Amino acid sequence: MDQRLFINLSPGGTYLDKLTGKTKVRLFFAIVILLIATWDMRIIFSALALSIIGLASLKAKLKSVKAIAVIVVLSNLLNLFLIWVIDPDYGASVCGGSTVLFQITSHYIITGQTMWYFLVRFCKLMATFFAAMTFIQCITPSELAAGLYAIKVPYKVCMIVSIAFRYIPDILRDFTNIKISMQARGMELDAKRTSLWQRLKQNVIILVPLVVTSFDRVGNIANAMDLRGFGKNKTRTYYAEHEDVKGDGQMKIFYIALYIFIAVVIALRIIAPGEYMVWYPFH
Amino acid sequence: MGNNKKKSIGALLLGKWDTKTIVGIAIGAALFGVLMDFGGIKVTTNTSLTSAYVVLPIVGALFGPLPAALTGLIGNTIADLIGGWGLWFDWSFGNAVAGFFIGLLPLYGAKIDDGVFGVKHAIIYAIVTVVGVALGFGVVTPVLTVLFYSSELTVTWIQAWAAVVSDASVAIVIGIPVLFALAKRNARKTGLSKED
Repeated sequence: MDQRLFINLSPGGTYLDKLTGKTKVRLFFAIVILLIATWDMRIIFSALALSIIGLASLKAKLKSVKAIAVIVVLSNLLNLFLIWVIDPDYGASVCGGSTVLFQITSHYIITGQTMWYFLVRFCKLMATFFAAMTFIQCITPSELAAGLYAIKVPYKVCMIVSIAFRYIPDILRDFTNIKISMQARGMELDAKRTSLWQRLKQNVIILVPLVVTSFDRVGNIANAMDLRGFGKNKTRTYYAEHEDVKGDGQMKIFYIALYIFIAVVIALRIIAPGEYMVWYPFH
Repeated sequence: MGNNKKKSIGALLLGKWDTKTIVGIAIGAALFGVLMDFGGIKVTTNTSLTSAYVVLPIVGALFGPLPAALTGLIGNTIADLIGGWGLWFDWSFGNAVAGFFIGLLPLYGAKIDDGVFGVKHAIIYAIVTVVGVALGFGVVTPVLTVLFYSSELTVTWIQAWAAVVSDASVAIVIGIPVLFALAKRNARKTGLSKED
């Protein structure tokens, strides 16, 4: 479980790592908004390719990404399967037409349009997943706060986000400690050997000390922040936010272009929505 | 802390935005995020019987409804980011609405800080929680799903109602005992008893 989290506290040395928090946050939001806004496979596929390149360029902890990726792929496939079970001809309403490829029963058919929609949807979610993984692995909590502040989020909210991220490894450490001490007292935590109800009860038993220790720390952290003068001024600057590097300039051009593109995509969807939501090439 | 002046409802809704509140929301959100991803048992895709919902009443009780809403919003976004589910802002906002209702505790007089939490409060809490969760996941999330993702609604409905049932039951079944325990703990901590 510890392997599955990648909250970095110090930035690495690759191209994406070296960017300022501002650039990272803007870039990430651009890709996420684009992926939400569009159902066009050509755009989604480019975004997918970009985010995979981004993730590969970080060269870090790919092993743990693999573990999550398996779960994400499986749960997305399950989701798609659920949609298919409920409405096998779903593609007809979003792509138009239904070209039957296989027929299982008269109701359960597999159409080209549904499969295409599933493929688009799957790529869309995978692209979001890879973008999120890239983002999380290349940003530090302070840079995240600085980046959010640069897009005019009130700095108290930025602070919340950055403390929350900073605190996640601590929670996991506490969680592991509590779990180990519970096991040392003879609690069976193996999922295979305990019933669902037992596991629920154990979850609660671990939960209470975890919640109590976490909230007990609020006072300490708040006092430390107050002593350093947090919240006294209307604005703030960030130590983690360094001068723009060369990459920031290049990426700035890229994300500005991306935002213009997003505006066009959204405007087109509002002004001139196509007959169907998803672009389908095999008509 | 112990001012007896009656605070206006507006002030109670907003909560007191001091450093303690900020840290409280942050830690609440981190706990929420981690528990969402690891402290649960899957019910359907995108929803699980998660213990994360215990965090919201605690934040609500200590800091008020808006902090609880922010905890839900940021916590769910964090859960999405670290869990790799992709970003589902529709669910984040559903969580925010649910968190707001769950966090209404100070409004009907439950003051966990001063050790005030009785059966009456527990009943109101249970009702408000069900309403809030149903509104959050049953209305806000599906509407935003259509707006943001134009996704298949039937699946979202199934997930949403699974979430309503599982999250509301966690918030009530585990939440109420935790609130009682916290109230008792805080009541003891003051260490002062009234002399006749």
